[in-house]
Amino acid sequence: MNPSDKFPVSEELLRALVAEGMSHGGNWCDIYLEDTTYCDLLLRDSEVGAGGFHVDYGCGIRVLKGEKTGYAYSESTDFPSLLSAARAAASIAEGCCHVQKAVIPSSKRLDEGNFYTQRQDWRMSGASQFVPLLQDLDRDIRGRDSRIVSLTAMLSWSVSEVVMFNSLGELSSDTRPLGSISVTAVFKQGDAIEKNSVSRSLRAGSEMLSPEVMKDLADRAVAGIDERFAARRPKGGKMKVVMGAGASGILLHEAMGHAFEADFNRKGQSVFSDRMGQRICRSGINIVDDGTLPGSRGSCNYDDEGVPGQKTYMVRDGVLSSYLHDRISADFYHVKPTGNGRRENFRYNPIPRMRATYMENGTDGNVSDLIASVKKGIFVNQFANGEVKIGEGDFTFYVRSGFLIEGGRLTMPVKDINITGNGPQALADIEAVASDLKVDESTWTCGKEQSVAVSCGIPSVLVNNLTVGGE
Amino acid sequence: MIKETDRQLCLKALEMARRHGAANSRVNLVVSRENLVASLNGELDKVTGCLDKSMNISLFVDGRFGSFSTDKLEESSLDEFISKAAEMVRMLAADPCRALPATQRCCSTAVTGNELDLLDTDYDTITAEKRKSIALEASVFGQEFPGDFELISEEAEYSDSICETLLMDSNGLECRHSENSFDYGTEVTIESHGQKYSGYWWDSTSRLSLLDWKSCGRRAVFRAAEQINSAAIRSGKYNMLVDSEVASRMISPVLNALNAYSLQQNNSFLIGSLGRQIFHEGMTLTDRPHIKGSNCSKLFDSEGVATSEGFVIEAGVVKKYFVNEYMSRKMGTEPTIEEATRPALNPWPVPGLDRDSLMKRMGDGILVTDFNGGNCNSATGDFSYGIEGLYFKNGKVLKPVSGMIVTGNFIRLWNSLEAVADDARPCMSKLIPTLAFRKVDFSG
Repeated sequence: MNPSDKFPVSEELLRALVAEGMSHGGNWCDIYLEDTTYCDLLLRDSEVGAGGFHVDYGCGIRVLKGEKTGYAYSESTDFPSLLSAARAAASIAEGCCHVQKAVIPSSKRLDEGNFYTQRQDWRMSGASQFVPLLQDLDRDIRGRDSRIVSLTAMLSWSVSEVVMFNSLGELSSDTRPLGSISVTAVFKQGDAIEKNSVSRSLRAGSEMLSPEVMKDLADRAVAGIDERFAARRPKGGKMKVVMGAGASGILLHEAMGHAFEADFNRKGQSVFSDRMGQRICRSGINIVDDGTLPGSRGSCNYDDEGVPGQKTYMVRDGVLSSYLHDRISADFYHVKPTGNGRRENFRYNPIPRMRATYMENGTDGNVSDLIASVKKGIFVNQFANGEVKIGEGDFTFYVRSGFLIEGGRLTMPVKDINITGNGPQALADIEAVASDLKVDESTWTCGKEQSVAVSCGIPSVLVNNLTVGGE
Repeated sequence: MIKETDRQLCLKALEMARRHGAANSRVNLVVSRENLVASLNGELDKVTGCLDKSMNISLFVDGRFGSFSTDKLEESSLDEFISKAAEMVRMLAADPCRALPATQRCCSTAVTGNELDLLDTDYDTITAEKRKSIALEASVFGQEFPGDFELISEEAEYSDSICETLLMDSNGLECRHSENSFDYGTEVTIESHGQKYSGYWWDSTSRLSLLDWKSCGRRAVFRAAEQINSAAIRSGKYNMLVDSEVASRMISPVLNALNAYSLQQNNSFLIGSLGRQIFHEGMTLTDRPHIKGSNCSKLFDSEGVATSEGFVIEAGVVKKYFVNEYMSRKMGTEPTIEEATRPALNPWPVPGLDRDSLMKRMGDGILVTDFNGGNCNSATGDFSYGIEGLYFKNGKVLKPVSGMIVTGNFIRLWNSLEAVADDARPCMSKLIPTLAFRKVDFSG
């Protein structure tokens, strides 16, 4: 691979930019070239009547001096613009007493990982072929439930061409497809209105729009709507919560994942800052952050610092075993980067971010066993969003739907409630882990300073003592 | 920053669109520059420099519509881009409701871009050294604070930017908007008896001379310290005050529900509310897009339609839906503006109240100082949010609370309104003062 295969820049030019970036005494410089095309099609009122595409092209240059960051970008890849960006980034090291001319080692081309492929490149597919697909989906879903009064469906895809080069001479490139399809259906029953939103998102080409995927979307778009109309707010308070397999992985993302990101720990801000090597939950529990799941929204052949995609055990057998590192924190902790240095696009410097975060299977039976073990509690399986306060460890996530558990059985459906807890306490309060791990493939996006695509998963778990919102 | 050559490029883009078959088109050129300096524990941590220039293009081709954007603005690239865009629009369904807004509704007064006085004449004189000194001199790391805690982390960030937009369409519309923004924010983590607590404070203005960066650190520490030993209290109904720092969370779902896109799709809890008394008489919400010198003020929306000052909700009666050109034709109703530009909630029942006087007025309750997650069902108005704050009794703060959830429905909540203070923060895009509600469900 030559950088000029994808961008109008030569390797010599990249080397010159890195040298310029380090000219004030920086000890690291990397370059991130990106050419992204994003396209969307919107179906509303049974017609695909809106759509468009968007081009985002540019180059980010980062210079590090220890843990300090200089960053600048250009939307042009002509040499004067890139040189100007390199000089701006270099300013982080201004004032260094002894500046030695940087020596950039000979280039090493890193082999691309292969955690996602495009059998059918989105860019080669005309929008016209997707229009009937959305119309068929609309007809299919509307045909399943006469209470539907409106339906919107959106198909979006992006393909990013990325080239990275750094002061170690490492050159890497990646082609990153990301396809997403989402449906929101609004139902009316008498005077009552309810809605259901479902989505599917994969790092794959347009072959992802298989009949099976479309049927799955249609199935889920109308699933559980009777229960939503019947649902009530529960009486709030602390109770046992059984979290169904899959999307309940938001518990890991909010309650633990963010607090394991190494920038928060390096700065002493995280509730887990001084707990490396300590037991934080019962033995047998393994929690991972994985960039290698084939086709997953959270997968990375490389992270955005050129570190190869990998699987990282954050908790192994109940013991905190690794934070999620970018190059800065890895250097700080004297460990290898874990491939978590990610960014929204070339306009942002990379920071530690999750990829696909999940818990491995346990040995406590299945979800029915967990429900049967609870006298009074709640079962939740559909979620919207979540949030965490890193220092305190207090997290919340929003439950779209679930059920009360009474006497070991699911009873009254519930909806639209927030659940809150404390990360370390919730981890310690995990009483049972089933063996039905599912990684959710919905359109999860994490919003820590920048938006990045992630995924999450979990087997069904029983957590003691979370606070459930209610009336 | 937007030069005559840029204007000529926009005109060429409109001409390219016409040549590629667009009966009508609109371009919006956005040029911005931002510098940022961040500190960690009183030492320089990050500097960034950003320069952006991109064009949004809306095409109306053969009764069809598409929206596109690019930052590749060389003329040859742009022509190829618009050609492909027009090709894509032809693949979409025809929609007779798609049209440019009528010329008489569009803004004709945004000529220089600085009509709202949002530019700081000193902006170009700010040096890299000045930026560093602001970022560093406001640090409170290492300073002594009263109380039983240690400041273990302080992150502060200063940034300044200039953003200019030029909106033109094939009907001859031409509008400009220019705005400086100066921002400073501090986030701190403190530790007390092995427990960590976080706090933040920030300010934003269109004039550097008005930016209050020096108090951000202390206020952030104060907000963290007031949460020491916080805990959930017994579940039940409590009077709720929502601090002006976070009160916009209570109004955003209402504004979303008044938007025609939500209404037309039956995805709104305010369907059929226009002209009706839906909320408590104490709720009067106005849109104030023309406040001079105030960030977020703007003379036109993204379609070029002129903004105007006026009621959105008057004494609890819904006065306005937010209806853009497309939705007005689709719903067969009069167009207004696409969204509220600078919504402001009027003080009630008297001006001059602040959060302390509201605590006295309400007697007992929970003052919400921050939200932690949560959401609102846009179709029903049901909400549930995590909160932290202060439990008060007899008008005085008794203890901090956290790990609690407030749950309810927005129509019922706003009908339990007791008072609206007069302390909206001018730096915020929505001018919402501290709010007081009667008997709201809290779970802990």
